Amino acid sequence: MGKEECKTMLDALNKVTACYRHLVIALGSTSDSQNLREELKRTRKKAQELAVANRTKLTSLLKDKSISKEDRAEYERLWVLFSSSMELLEVDMKRSLEIGQDFPLKVPTRHLIQTGMTGSTTAVASRAMSVQNMKYEADSNIDTADLRDLQTEITQVSHMMEEMEMKVQVAPWAVEAKQEAGAELKSNMSVGNSSVGVISICEEEPKDEEAGGGRDTGFASICAVFVFLVIVGVAVVLGYLVINMS
Amino acid sequence: MTIRTARQDRVQHFRPRTHCLKKLEAMVVEMQDSKSGVKGSEQKLNVTTIPHVISGKDVIAWITNKMKNTTEDAQAFGTMLVAYGYIYPLQNHRKLVMCNDDSLYRFQTPYFWPTQKWFAEDIDYAIYLAKRNIRKKGMLEPYEQAHYNHLHEWLNHKWDFIVMQATEQYKAGKERKKPDRVVFDCQERAYWIVNRPPRRTHSALDVGPERLIDPNIDEKISFDQYRRMNMFYQQAIMRSKVKSSVSLGALVKYITTYKNHDPFLAPCLPSNPWQTDNDSYWTLNMRRVDVPTKMRVERWSFSLFELLSDLRGRDDFKIFLKKEFSGENLAFWEAAEELKLGTASSMSTKAETIFKTFLAPGAPRWINIDGRTMGLTVKGLDHPHRYVLEAAQTHVFLLMKKDTFFRYLKSPVYKDIQKKAQSPEAHNFSPAQLEQNAQSRSPGIHPMILWQQEEEEKAKAAAASAPVDVKAMMSKIDRKK
Repeated sequence: MGKEECKTMLDALNKVTACYRHLVIALGSTSDSQNLREELKRTRKKAQELAVANRTKLTSLLKDKSISKEDRAEYERLWVLFSSSMELLEVDMKRSLEIGQDFPLKVPTRHLIQTGMTGSTTAVASRAMSVQNMKYEADSNIDTADLRDLQTEITQVSHMMEEMEMKVQVAPWAVEAKQEAGAELKSNMSVGNSSVGVISICEEEPKDEEAGGGRDTGFASICAVFVFLVIVGVAVVLGYLVINMS
Repeated sequence: MTIRTARQDRVQHFRPRTHCLKKLEAMVVEMQDSKSGVKGSEQKLNVTTIPHVISGKDVIAWITNKMKNTTEDAQAFGTMLVAYGYIYPLQNHRKLVMCNDDSLYRFQTPYFWPTQKWFAEDIDYAIYLAKRNIRKKGMLEPYEQAHYNHLHEWLNHKWDFIVMQATEQYKAGKERKKPDRVVFDCQERAYWIVNRPPRRTHSALDVGPERLIDPNIDEKISFDQYRRMNMFYQQAIMRSKVKSSVSLGALVKYITTYKNHDPFLAPCLPSNPWQTDNDSYWTLNMRRVDVPTKMRVERWSFSLFELLSDLRGRDDFKIFLKKEFSGENLAFWEAAEELKLGTASSMSTKAETIFKTFLAPGAPRWINIDGRTMGLTVKGLDHPHRYVLEAAQTHVFLLMKKDTFFRYLKSPVYKDIQKKAQSPEAHNFSPAQLEQNAQSRSPGIHPMILWQQEEEEKAKAAAASAPVDVKAMMSKIDRKK
């Protein structure tokens, strides 16, 4: 059905936007490298493909005049999700252009900011591309060529967004959110599906104690204690009966 | 989705107060140099080691060396770097200062640097708060919780997107290695402390209004502009100027008189409402308070201008003048003010009443001004405009200043009010009380109520000071007989 397709595609776009942001944050720091620039390029391409696909699908759904009111409200909500994703993507792309120009890689002495991040971002990129391993095949002038491509892509995206705004009449402020405040705590991750909650760790905050992970281990420990008590109770009862009988 | 086509992009994006950022960025990049930059070391947390940690004193030593200034200046410069967000502290992350000791700092990634063009948007802040909510399992700081609730209310139409994006970013962040994750969390937290500071902290990001012209581009000044600049400066040299000894003397006199009354230099009694959210200072200094504060009464003695500008002081002065039966000067001055500042339609009627009451020969409240001024004023009143009474008003003001004012300061009325004036105790709020105050701020008195009070007082005053109709009084007395 159209709605389910839309939702999965929006999920994918959302994932790619989040990963792109992670990659752009690493730009200009010590975890910057040739690989990172290539990952950015690939993620961008994927994002654009998804964007175009999403747009055609949603515009066709919204243009259909014969849909019910609830359906229309739902499609409008999906449209707002789509356009917010695109806005974030556009801003990130513009910023990556600026930072990429300020911190070129092909100069004799690289002046990358020592932020403390040294690991690679391969895993994030492969998550965005939904592949197991990333293969790098870029040539050495990725800096300049990539930045030129990026500029054209940015103009394309801005153009697309202006078109979207002119052609589709959706009032974004009229959309009501389905999630209430604190919905992220219940870990309902995606638009349609739900998935398992995650556990957080951060050691640098003095107040944040690492002991005890998340709710799942809490439940497990309570269950274990309960089972233990039951076994002890049963053992006591059996012992009492044995003593009584003998 | 933000509406892009409604407001045209006239590229009014440049915030001039932040155009020092380009130079700061160059300096931060220089600090990264492996040979001549700041030396980094490693930080050991429980099991992970994170590189690229710098200590405060190294940074300050490097700045002193580079900019060839004193340690205090370098420390101030370092604090500005921290306050703008180029470097963030690792211990005590809320206090954005650079200390000249072993406290640890780290550089911020270029994405999170302050820029002239990009704002820290609310939607990004909402995503960050949602992520933090997940990590802290619902235990946000109070100011963060307040922001969260507010954003949930007004960004409600994008809330689905915010939740989705927050969970995705959280999951994507887990794909990185442990030390990188820790660094990323610290970076984000530092960025948002700079851009959305908690209560009662100072923020360096005072950007001012946006401008059309980019202050970073070099402007070519044309020949014609140079010619006009030359003409201007030549004329400026020819103008006669006040001697600096005279103007500086006046400035010094002003400072010595007013320095205890300035809320920046001296503590404001009982407490500055902008700092402690307690408005007793304003209620004690209202327009129609019975007992004014000591500072206010002292201010009245500085000059007649101060006394008349403060309406409570003017009331007091009126009481004194009533006792001396010389209220017509002040009444004329007030009437002239009203003419100056009033509506254009009421000007001719006001001018007529003033003439009848104060200036006509044999008027009930005739003022004693010299003949020349009187002649000019009466002639001007044929075609009244706003400033027709200016000369007469100045003359009356000078009369009051030279004579009545000093008598007022020595009078029992003034001495009485000096004794009665209250001096409130300074407040001493604890941080918990300050938080309490901040949450229970009242909107204050509605201006309509104040305006109604003013109107009633004016009506009463007008009735009381209407010239006594002698004939009516006499007829009343006759009737009684």
